[in-house]
Amino acid sequence: MPSLKLPLWRSVEEHAGSAGLDPTGPSPEFAAPVQPVTMDRRSFVQLLGAASALAASAGCFKPPDDKVLPYTRQPEEVMPGNPLHYASASVLGGYATGLLVTAHEGRPTKVEGNPEHPSSMGASGVLEQGMLLQLYDPHRLGFVMNRRTARSWHDYLGSMLEKARELREKRGAGLRFLLEPSSSPMIARLRERLLDLYPLAKFSTWSAIPLQQINDGAQLALGAPYETRLDFSKAQVIASIDDDFLSSLPGTLPGMRAFAERRAPGESQNRLYSVETSVSVTGMTADHRLRARPSQVVSVALALAARLVPQFASLAPQKLSADQSKFVDALARDLKRAGSQSVVLVGPRQPPLVHGLVHAINAALGSAAVSYAKPVLHDLDAGPRALRTLTEEIRAGAVDTLVITAWNPAYGAPEDLNFGTALSSVPTSVYRSLFDDETAARAGWVLPATHTLETWGDARAHDGTITFQQPLISPLFNGITEIETLAAFLGEGDRSAYSQLRELYKDRADDQLWEKWLSDGFIKDSATPAEKVAVRFDAIAALAARPAAVASVGYELNVIPDYKLWDGRFANDAWLLELPCPVTKLSWENAALLSPATARELGAVQGDLIDIGLHGPPAHAPVLILPGHADGAVSVAMGWGRKGSGEQLAENVGFDTATLRHSDAPWFAAGATLTPVGRTHPLALTQQHHVMEGRALAVFTTAALFKKEPQLLEKQRGIPATAHEPHDYSHGYKWGMAIDLSRCTGCTACSIACQAENNIPVVGKDNVRKNREMHWLRIDRYFTGDDLENPGFVTQPVACVHCEMAPCEYVCPVNATVHSDEGLNEMVYNRCVGTRYCSNNCPYKVRRFNFFAYNNDYSDTEKMVFNPNVTVRARGVMEKCTYCVQRIERVRIRSSVEERPMRKGELVTACQQACPTQAIVFGDLNDPASLVSEWSRDERRYDLLYELGTRPRTAYLARIRNENPELA
Amino acid sequence: MPALFKPGSNTAFRVTLFAFGFLAVGGGIAGPMIYVRSPFYTQIGDPIDQPVQFDHRHHVGDEGIDCRYCHWSVEKSSQAGVPQISLCLNCHSQIWNKSPKLAPIREAFFADRPIIWNKVNKLPHFVYFNHSIHVAKGVGCVTCHGRIDLMPAVHKAQPLSMAWCLECHRAPERFLRPREEVTNMTYEVPEGHTQLEVGLALKAKYHVVSRVNCTTCHR
Repeated sequence: MPSLKLPLWRSVEEHAGSAGLDPTGPSPEFAAPVQPVTMDRRSFVQLLGAASALAASAGCFKPPDDKVLPYTRQPEEVMPGNPLHYASASVLGGYATGLLVTAHEGRPTKVEGNPEHPSSMGASGVLEQGMLLQLYDPHRLGFVMNRRTARSWHDYLGSMLEKARELREKRGAGLRFLLEPSSSPMIARLRERLLDLYPLAKFSTWSAIPLQQINDGAQLALGAPYETRLDFSKAQVIASIDDDFLSSLPGTLPGMRAFAERRAPGESQNRLYSVETSVSVTGMTADHRLRARPSQVVSVALALAARLVPQFASLAPQKLSADQSKFVDALARDLKRAGSQSVVLVGPRQPPLVHGLVHAINAALGSAAVSYAKPVLHDLDAGPRALRTLTEEIRAGAVDTLVITAWNPAYGAPEDLNFGTALSSVPTSVYRSLFDDETAARAGWVLPATHTLETWGDARAHDGTITFQQPLISPLFNGITEIETLAAFLGEGDRSAYSQLRELYKDRADDQLWEKWLSDGFIKDSATPAEKVAVRFDAIAALAARPAAVASVGYELNVIPDYKLWDGRFANDAWLLELPCPVTKLSWENAALLSPATARELGAVQGDLIDIGLHGPPAHAPVLILPGHADGAVSVAMGWGRKGSGEQLAENVGFDTATLRHSDAPWFAAGATLTPVGRTHPLALTQQHHVMEGRALAVFTTAALFKKEPQLLEKQRGIPATAHEPHDYSHGYKWGMAIDLSRCTGCTACSIACQAENNIPVVGKDNVRKNREMHWLRIDRYFTGDDLENPGFVTQPVACVHCEMAPCEYVCPVNATVHSDEGLNEMVYNRCVGTRYCSNNCPYKVRRFNFFAYNNDYSDTEKMVFNPNVTVRARGVMEKCTYCVQRIERVRIRSSVEERPMRKGELVTACQQACPTQAIVFGDLNDPASLVSEWSRDERRYDLLYELGTRPRTAYLARIRNENPELA
Repeated sequence: MPALFKPGSNTAFRVTLFAFGFLAVGGGIAGPMIYVRSPFYTQIGDPIDQPVQFDHRHHVGDEGIDCRYCHWSVEKSSQAGVPQISLCLNCHSQIWNKSPKLAPIREAFFADRPIIWNKVNKLPHFVYFNHSIHVAKGVGCVTCHGRIDLMPAVHKAQPLSMAWCLECHRAPERFLRPREEVTNMTYEVPEGHTQLEVGLALKAKYHVVSRVNCTTCHR
């Protein structure tokens, strides 16, 4: 079997054959051996007595007292013990994602996607899941501040009353608003009303992840800032130019689903090409990947345009390497062959020229997947350019009152703008924020913001669908909504956000319809229509013909939004901080990503600190060697190195990229210097943890090979010979799971959904370094192939596979892990004494041990995040995936009480629910019609570590890459 | 002087010494095991003081109010529920509405502040018990909670230990009753039948699959 022999490796060390794993040495997971203490007889007896006395007093004489607090007046719908689900939405980058939030007796405990919402389709991303912990963060700002002293909302309104009168007399001169990107009809209405009252006031939009290039690219190519809509169900060949559309970041969920639907091998299997500098989730999934420095990415786009767009044929040929030329030629031919069934994507960070070229290519190909629509965002021109205009006005003294609802511009703004200093000089500044952050330190008035789950509001989804945000809980920290903040300047500071919102939709909906909208979470069929747009080839060609000044000295810098913190707003979220990065498997910080060759050139090894110098003071960054990264470039994730006083977890974790970003070049820059400083920094990398010792784990092959030999995996599945009497599972339910590696992109949404559902603790950086992270569901990321510099990738989610012949069960001395008659490998926390034999004997390395009482020091608000249906584990207890047994039992009980069989789709595990590509299915293997049975019969199915005879209940479906024969 | 102790005393002394040692070690192990099973620990029969002297004897016994009037979520939720205060006032806004004994109820209602009741039937936090499924399968209130209609102050009637739970989960036919008799405090097996006959018939009728896997109750 050729595919199974391809080398699989996890890190540079493993590739070199020295995995850093000494089989004879102790694992860092275990504590250092304790030196025996010498003790005389007297002290021994004293300690013995003290220990017995303590043991006796700790043993309970009576069970602890419990109290019951019933409601005084029962809220409608609330039935203690039964959770409620409300439709709401998260808004990131201005676009809404529909959510369905579970609340237990009024406290939200789980965020899931709204199955009917077009932007979520039931899935949710990493950030939406992480949001929940942020709601309960005890570090949130809880009061109004003026010049850093605590005040009240009414103090603020009182002082603003005078100010507003003054501003009205000046017709709003000197009044500026700096808003978060928004598509909300409510905010649009408020903006109109504010402009009526203050005609000279100005609005600008700031986001550290700017939309400016999309805007400029559309202006260039289409003459107006149209938004591109993509329908991957109509795309056979997809080429992504630095577009990370498979990463479960805001707005990617529907695209991921549609992409995955065409991922199964067969005639309709799509083929994905990716051109990028660093390795992205999309790059890991791609069938063919070209690594290129940022400047070369532009060259590749130009070369591709020259081959595909007749009008650009006369463009000067690009200087490409032989590999690049081969890639571009093959890609161009493949795109042409697929014609309207092909599409080229462009990442939002790319310069306007590349956006223009891609618009032209798609028009030339006649791509059916692309359509254009009027933008749903109020300001597409959000980014450093808008902020620079504002900063210049402040410096010129033209700004008297500045109201900021955008997230933390003092942190995210490029260094050259020096926005923080400018902000300090504004006579009256108001900043609305969840935390006492960098901007709050410089603003006059600081208002505590409501969390997404505490807010009334509206926003449009990526396709324009009007979506409502409905609060799940009243503000825990006296938060104020963006609507109320703006309405205060209309003299309506004491009106609730809800009454504003209701009034806006009064003409369109009576109470009954309004209630329906709220319970659906959105207005059906309110998407904005697609429009016919002509692409202006001449304008693009004119810009393309102008030679770009490319400085080829030094290294090229590539700044990327973080997979977990995004622009940095989730920097105080422990779930997200600890979650290993999907690509690098680095937790608790960011690093300078270098290719192995570039690291060699610098003489740097993993963990060496280097100085990245560009414009201002250098950034100190630890080196992380990433096979597959482009040579001569360095990638850094933004959002780290926070310095606000309120966010204690985020403080000084990782390094800040602001000094590296210039307002003219916020993403890419040439001429960076990299200087090793001669010190090292320990990295919390999980890529070498829980190693299953080089067997055929993540199986993958190519579509061509698989077609030739569909029996490839026959020897990797089925029931192996056994001396044991097999148990009969043919009656009742037989739970099983199947995971399709072809669909999995490795985005890690499942991992964090599992954490939220199962009360999984966070252990901290030091413990992660000791292999003690607690994630029940880990995503293994393997490099494939022999080439250290340019490997392939395969990702594999691994949780407990619930072996029918479970090795863990044989070795437990206290029967704490046993089998259920439905095939679940159960973990009984109360029996567990912590010998960890089970974990030693588990070939899949999926058991997690509570080395410390991780759940003990939760604050009162943080405790509210716990799922009441899952035990909060104590120290010294082993734990692992339960197949979400609390969900099984809930559905079993509900269906049994109602005397009916379980409904299709009623029982989903947390990971399955979150997965944006639906790579995970769970269900009854005794039901031949269930999806999990269907997948288990698939010819791509194999059992993980089949040869051990454990008979796992989780089946894997091999990843099939759809290679282009020209590039194979 | 003759010897005070006969030679046999040595043996008696050794036996006694050994017996004391055996008792100490054995008692050390068996003692706590006996203790946790005794009413001292299980609190069976201990009336629990409550902030308001609610008398089930009067409400259930004399007035014949159905259990589910107050514990209204018992058929739909894991919890039977302690009634909201407004429910008390459904009647007590009309009758006994000036009674000093009910002053805490009225105060709590008008101040919108909960009454803090003391829990009687306590389960450890790693046990997930669901009322709705038990009621649906014909387990009577009285089976676990005892003759509430005879309790001036409610006390625990059963040990609620795991062994006690398993008694029924391993052989539910010994305890099942028709669904319509679930809240009946004085239900008895119809004349001429035995509990086992009735129980087995109901077990089949209600599709009772009483599970004894760990995750049935511990998650």
